[in-house]
Amino acid sequence: MSLAPVTQEVTATGGDLAPDLPWVTIVWNDPVNLMSYVTYVLQSHFGYSRAKAEKLMMDVHTQGRAVVANGTREAMEADTEALQGYGLWATFQKDS
Amino acid sequence: MARGFRRKGRGRAASYVARLDPLERATVAGLMEQVHDLLEPPPTTTVGPGSEGPVDEFAAIVAGLGMGVTVAAEDQADLVASGAGRDPALDRLLPTANLQDDEAAAEFRRLTETGLRQRKAAGLALAASLLRAEDKVVLDEASARAFLTALTDVRLVLGERMGLRTDEDLEALEAAAGELDPDDPLGYALAVYDFLTWFQETLASAMLTA
Repeated sequence: MSLAPVTQEVTATGGDLAPDLPWVTIVWNDPVNLMSYVTYVLQSHFGYSRAKAEKLMMDVHTQGRAVVANGTREAMEADTEALQGYGLWATFQKDS
Repeated sequence: MARGFRRKGRGRAASYVARLDPLERATVAGLMEQVHDLLEPPPTTTVGPGSEGPVDEFAAIVAGLGMGVTVAAEDQADLVASGAGRDPALDRLLPTANLQDDEAAAEFRRLTETGLRQRKAAGLALAASLLRAEDKVVLDEASARAFLTALTDVRLVLGERMGLRTDEDLEALEAAAGELDPDDPLGYALAVYDFLTWFQETLASAMLTA
């Protein structure tokens, strides 16, 4: 697993007062999952276009990880569960 | 001789057709059944694939890699509950879902693990039963999806058993394959892994839409 440095854009303002910081779902690179399969899963689960799914897949492949979705914690947990169901290495976390 | 998946028809009427010989079918189905048992351990303490012929032989080789399930079910349940020290292949199938917040990760596992295990086990059982049926494998869209994921889960476990953690690990293993002792089960495992990779690639490519 080749890990790229974490480069997250900090978009939240207002510090502790921000009630609803967005959460993100991340897919991590692994040596087993096929590029075609990761593209298929991203298209199939999120309804992304082939082009968008392939760009995200390449981000995972070349940078070690990619944020594939953002939203509420509940939605990101649901995405993570679905992607793990497909066998992708998916995690969720607060985007801050 | 195997023939990879090809799509027949379009849209919802699409089907995906491949052909494997009996040994190939038994090998892949046997692995799917082993991963099924890993995800859904029966109440007994030891698990074997319970098959005959070439599957037994292959199971023995894979067991030599530590792929056989040897942990007692109740111990495994304890390990699952604690989330620590369990089979690394399970961690690959059901990875820690939050790397920043242990509490959130534990809650996610508590809420999702049983369902994920059941769905994966059901998909693996379906895929194995389709392979056990006949040389010609015909999948509709729903069964193709289950089959594709079942192949992923088998490759994840096999990859974990072969020590594949990074892209470089796979390259190094492929490069060293020629120098392996002919009796080294790792060589056979790698050959099976490569076959599964090829087989899955034909299905994933056939299922990708523009």
